Amino acid sequence: MKNSIQLLLLLVIITAACDDNILETTPYGQSTSSQFWRNGEDAVAAANAMYEPLTVEDFYGHAEHTFDIPSDDQFRAGDHAEDQAIESFTFDAGNPQLFYSWRHKYEVISRANAVLINVPDITMDQTLKDRTLGEAYFLRGFMYWRFAVIYGAVPLILEEDVLASNYNKARASLEETYAQIESDLLKAAELLPVSHGADDLGRPHKGAANGLLAKMYLYKEEFDKTITYGQMVLDGPYPLADNFQDNFQVETQNNPEVLFSIQSLQGWRDNTHIIYTTPRSWGGWDFHEPVQDLIEEFEEGDPRLDYTVYKPGDMVDLGGDNGITEYTADLSSTGYHFRKYSSWNPTGGLNMSHNNPIIRTADVLLLVAEAKVRSGQNGDAEINEVRQRAGRSLLSNATMEEIIHERRVELAGENQRHQDLIRWDKANLVDIVALYKKDLGPLKPPRNFVRPKHYLFAIPQREIDLSNGVLTQNPEY
Amino acid sequence: MKKTIPKRNSHQGLWLVVQLFVFMLLVQPLLALPTVPENFRMAAIKGSVVDETGEPLPGATITIEGTSQGTVSDIDGNFTIEVPENGALVVSFIGYQTQVVSIGNESVLNIQMIQEESSLNEVLVVGYGTQEKRDVTGAVSSIKGDNLQNLPVSGAAQALQGRAAGVNVVRNGGAPGNQGSIRIRGTGTLNNADPLIIIDGVPGGSLNDVNPNNIESVEILKDASASAIYGTRAANGVVIVTTKRGDFNQPLKVELNGYLGVSNAIKTIDVLDAPTLATLKRERYTNDGLAINSIWEDPSYQTQMTNWQEELLGQGTTQNVDLTLSGGNNNSSFMIAGGYFKEEGMITNSDFRRLSFRINSDHKLSDKFKIGQNLQLVSINQRSPNTLSAQTGVLWSAIRFHPGLPVMYPDGSYSSSQVSGEFGDINNPIFTQDTQDNNSTTHKILGNLNAEYEVLEGLKFRVNFGLDGYISDGYNFNIIVNDQIRTSSMNSLSRSYNEYYSVLAEYFLSYDKVFNELHKVNFVGGYTTQTFNSDYFSASKRDFLDESFDQRFLSVGQTLNGIDGGKSYDALASYFGRATYNYDERYLVTATFRSDGSSKFAPGNRWGYFPAFSLGWRISEEDFFQNVGFISNMKLTGGWGSLGNQNVNGLQYLALISSGRRYSFGGNQTVGAAQTRVPNLGITWETAQMTNIGLDLGFLDNRLLANFNYFIKDTKDMLIAPPTIGSIGTAQIPNQNLGELRNKGLEVEVLFRESQGKLTYTVSGNASFIQNEVTKLVDGNFIGSRLYGRSSQELSRTYQGAPIASFYGWRADGLYQTAEEIQNDSNIANDPRKTSGLIQPGDVKFLDLNDDGLIDEEDREIIGNPHPKVVYGLNTQLGYGNFDFSLFFLGNAGFDIYNADRMQGIDPTYPFNMYAETINRWNGEGTSNEIPRMTTKRDNLNHRTSDLFLEKGDFLRLKNVVLGYTLPAALTSRLGVSKARFYVTGQNVFVLTGYSGMDPELGYTDGNLQLNVDYAQYPQSRSWTIGTTITF
Repeated sequence: MKNSIQLLLLLVIITAACDDNILETTPYGQSTSSQFWRNGEDAVAAANAMYEPLTVEDFYGHAEHTFDIPSDDQFRAGDHAEDQAIESFTFDAGNPQLFYSWRHKYEVISRANAVLINVPDITMDQTLKDRTLGEAYFLRGFMYWRFAVIYGAVPLILEEDVLASNYNKARASLEETYAQIESDLLKAAELLPVSHGADDLGRPHKGAANGLLAKMYLYKEEFDKTITYGQMVLDGPYPLADNFQDNFQVETQNNPEVLFSIQSLQGWRDNTHIIYTTPRSWGGWDFHEPVQDLIEEFEEGDPRLDYTVYKPGDMVDLGGDNGITEYTADLSSTGYHFRKYSSWNPTGGLNMSHNNPIIRTADVLLLVAEAKVRSGQNGDAEINEVRQRAGRSLLSNATMEEIIHERRVELAGENQRHQDLIRWDKANLVDIVALYKKDLGPLKPPRNFVRPKHYLFAIPQREIDLSNGVLTQNPEY
Repeated sequence: MKKTIPKRNSHQGLWLVVQLFVFMLLVQPLLALPTVPENFRMAAIKGSVVDETGEPLPGATITIEGTSQGTVSDIDGNFTIEVPENGALVVSFIGYQTQVVSIGNESVLNIQMIQEESSLNEVLVVGYGTQEKRDVTGAVSSIKGDNLQNLPVSGAAQALQGRAAGVNVVRNGGAPGNQGSIRIRGTGTLNNADPLIIIDGVPGGSLNDVNPNNIESVEILKDASASAIYGTRAANGVVIVTTKRGDFNQPLKVELNGYLGVSNAIKTIDVLDAPTLATLKRERYTNDGLAINSIWEDPSYQTQMTNWQEELLGQGTTQNVDLTLSGGNNNSSFMIAGGYFKEEGMITNSDFRRLSFRINSDHKLSDKFKIGQNLQLVSINQRSPNTLSAQTGVLWSAIRFHPGLPVMYPDGSYSSSQVSGEFGDINNPIFTQDTQDNNSTTHKILGNLNAEYEVLEGLKFRVNFGLDGYISDGYNFNIIVNDQIRTSSMNSLSRSYNEYYSVLAEYFLSYDKVFNELHKVNFVGGYTTQTFNSDYFSASKRDFLDESFDQRFLSVGQTLNGIDGGKSYDALASYFGRATYNYDERYLVTATFRSDGSSKFAPGNRWGYFPAFSLGWRISEEDFFQNVGFISNMKLTGGWGSLGNQNVNGLQYLALISSGRRYSFGGNQTVGAAQTRVPNLGITWETAQMTNIGLDLGFLDNRLLANFNYFIKDTKDMLIAPPTIGSIGTAQIPNQNLGELRNKGLEVEVLFRESQGKLTYTVSGNASFIQNEVTKLVDGNFIGSRLYGRSSQELSRTYQGAPIASFYGWRADGLYQTAEEIQNDSNIANDPRKTSGLIQPGDVKFLDLNDDGLIDEEDREIIGNPHPKVVYGLNTQLGYGNFDFSLFFLGNAGFDIYNADRMQGIDPTYPFNMYAETINRWNGEGTSNEIPRMTTKRDNLNHRTSDLFLEKGDFLRLKNVVLGYTLPAALTSRLGVSKARFYVTGQNVFVLTGYSGMDPELGYTDGNLQLNVDYAQYPQSRSWTIGTTITF
């Protein structure tokens, strides 16, 4: 009897414990893609996620700026061994710098593609839907633009490739790549609003798309289109800020002149490029030091110099215990640091809410001026608007030489110079080989720029290897 | 549509089990109190205790069964005791089997003791049962608890190092509580290759939770046949820990252990002093034609002030105290143990504390019905410094911080390299350690309740319910740092809370029967499920206006940084069976089958089937073998089996959208959602197929035992996340069943035991020769691994056709001595750097492996192997009278270490202090062929990953030495103590090695993908301990 009870007890335990569904699991706190894309909130969430990779250290948080260290504006500084080869044109395709931002650009594209595939089918407010799709087209176009200027043509991963899981694609032709950028940016310009409310500052708008189109057309030497699209920006609500420095101060950095910038918010999602450009003793990592040659480019008394660089004798309020501190030459190996990317917290330390500007109205003015001059028109109005703000004398019948000068000082440190020089060299406006042969001191000795090899950087070797030969290398690498 | 989550009130299950345990705890004393049998008439008994050879055994303990009354045998082995009539005596002596002798009518007893572990009759725990060693046909290593006792180490894993062939315990640095990685028969997969740990029948615990002093035995199931019964998770081997239990009818026994020790650094790295550093820094500017930075001319920084490594590495301490009570009556037995272990590391604010409590008991409800229980409660608190970063690691920093700065300035503030960017962006390492404030506390419970019912003779039905759970709490406070060079403008506190529990249920039948005295049959079979639940949340706040310790709470922070939380659930369900057949003690057969379902895979791919079988032939039992006198035992075994591994993330078959993608617009926080992982619908079991051939030999009446095992282990369908083309973006790539891996090797264990008079000694050794090779990877591609330092240098790659984590880099061939040599060097005939004059004498000459006349990425190859060809252990135990002495050596041979710390340590392009040997740098033709010139330039990348920084890692370490003395029994018995032993232990006493770094035991630094790279890890210390064990 007792034994039977014990047996019964065991049977009860077993029955209680048996559970057929024990292997069924639930993705707690996450959705599967088939459950997502329900409404406008999902669409906006997916759109917001497109921007996230832009700020990572291996992209605009630092690495993307390294593509400008070969220019004659700056010495690479810092302690990344691979940078020296980039600066001196001795790099090969295996240089890790070439790969750092590659994947992040494709990640933005991947997230944009997800929006472009799924959002059209969502039932939601049409204005919001247009904005969301416009953002996706803008960011995808912007990414392929960066690819094009750095590497030339690249594999174009578009909606249909995502649907077919077709990622190992051959490089498109350069024309196809530019056509894609053009098509994406034109759609963006059509879909995006003219401007945004305070809560959405930093999303691209029509001005951002048209500005980038103007720049792209100038690279393609389609001067009338540069003028047309540039003029749309200049006719829009995107006036120059009152002061040049307003573009580089946290309080005013989202003013209308800044057509598009990578947003940064301290303690939330910040932009480490700020740390990279700051002296070590001030809590930075000491990269991208401006060289004397750049300082000398500034006209005597140009106030932009003070807001572009820290130079010996500058008194800077570092906040907190440090307070007002003198910038001394020994903080830098060249004697200077860029100032455009730093603001200081009142309590001390770098203000990490400092944005990373991508395109400004001043840039567009100079693009239009250049297009006009190079197509035999007069670009004085545009270049003088930029010069006037800086209190510079007004020019008449401005020449390409003056435009080249103006771009260098207005946009110093904004990741433009090396690419500008390449395109001017192609147009026989400058001799980049001779320019880079110039001895700018022991830190910036003469370098061998090889035409046409160095017009483009090398496609990362890793990608070529992983593609099993589908990806081809740029000439001479 | 919003999805509906099925309700699973999982806490109810947890509570049920907890309540059961609490109940057991409460009824425990009632069940288990040993009761003294009622005394009848007493009789005086005389007797003597002798060993197997008839020699008297002095000091044997003789107690009256069921009581604590007793005596000890004298120097001639004789004793006298008053015993109740029809009572029984329990005779015990260390190293011998305890005997219970019932008193008949005799008044003189001669008791012959039989040595324990006469090995062949040794009973091994083999999973869902036990087997006598002679019947085992698989490869099983067994380590008795005695070998693990009172070692000054934080956990059983460390104690197992070097104790068994084929079991490699890789120490990952010497931080307190760091238990290392156990690799059984090589690294079996690129994924988690940790073996399955089973503590008292509950799979999944951690070896660090068990007080080594509570361990009865550790069995390691190495081959497929032995471990197939745990097929699901057995691909990397199984470690079965069995803790001590009380015996039925055992008088109360109380054992007290205590030890106390100190530990110190074994070695520091010689670095430059302040004046020499300034000289070399100036030289690098002069060599480059640059103006010397004025700080290096400033005499105030050229006085040697501080040896930072000595400041950082102080004296550590280790202490342990534990108490064990055990006993039992006719129906119940118990063991209760409590202990406290504390290790303070050499580095300030690094420590490990464990409070442990254990209660094991067994009960007979009837002749047929038994229940048993184990419960382990552990509380662990741990503080660990960062010693693995080549950016901020404290030891890394101490090697590089400016030696001309004091620890503190006269005003009591910490010195700082804010003085100049030339001193490098390193914070004062003493400041870092003093102000570090993080710790983790974990409360763990592990236990089970099991019941056995004998349905028919030989047929038993068993159930086992287990629980393994923990609650862990992480705390980290970061202060505002303004006065060091790596500033931090915000303070912040983060807390994370994680609750995990796993519930096990096992139901199985076992059947034992002997037919005709020739056919011995055993069968075990059943069903088991285990669920794994985890639930976490974390919160972080910043902007604390007051950083006082009593204000470091979340409520004080002004700004919310973030809150996170989540939950996961996984489960396994399995059917298993094992049959063994033994014919006439000569022919042995074992067959095992297991079928496992895992929730980690998509429906349709969930179930895996894992069979195994093995055969054994005890040749020494054959008639024809009876004349071979000197061989006392010989057994040949062979087996094959298939095992599974599912140690990868769950839900990889789903395309998941994760929220929490941060960005901001106009200074406003926004959150986005994106697909962060590519799904793999076909993901399924990784399997390992193993073949094993074993030979057991015994000589000289089994005083000399030897065991040889040869194995080949092939891992198939290995789950790897292949490197994927960048055009897919950064979404996580799922594991795919792509790779194949082979480990093969030979294991040897030898043991010799002898006693002559008062002298007893045991010498044992083991060695494993294991080769690892990745036999298939993705299309000739490699798997990369953790990058080193500021320049993200690649050190290790895993390639098809080579061992996992091979070192990968350039080949160096000395230094260029002259400009002519550079001009004529065919290695760089077409190198643009040569044409630009960027390569100079004193730079490293790299070899152009692909003969294209320039040095680039294509000139790299596999330059070294981090896996030892042989791992061995040597153990000697000597006993003479009341003294005991043991020596334990551990060795690794035939492997390379990549000394990354030295690579950066002699690199002058960084703004850091350098290794002292840098003084021997190249500074003119013929001055050095090894240490490159001083320069600030990196054109030639002299300090790129190359064989210049590869060293032989071979070492032989005196891991452990113990000298003990047991007080004479005659003395202790008068004190009411049955045994008292005192001992001194030395740990890591010395190491013989040619390796130039701090410690040749470096361990893993990136899962299995990087091994034996010197990052200036927390080194192991040398420690000396004194202790005592007293038994009442």
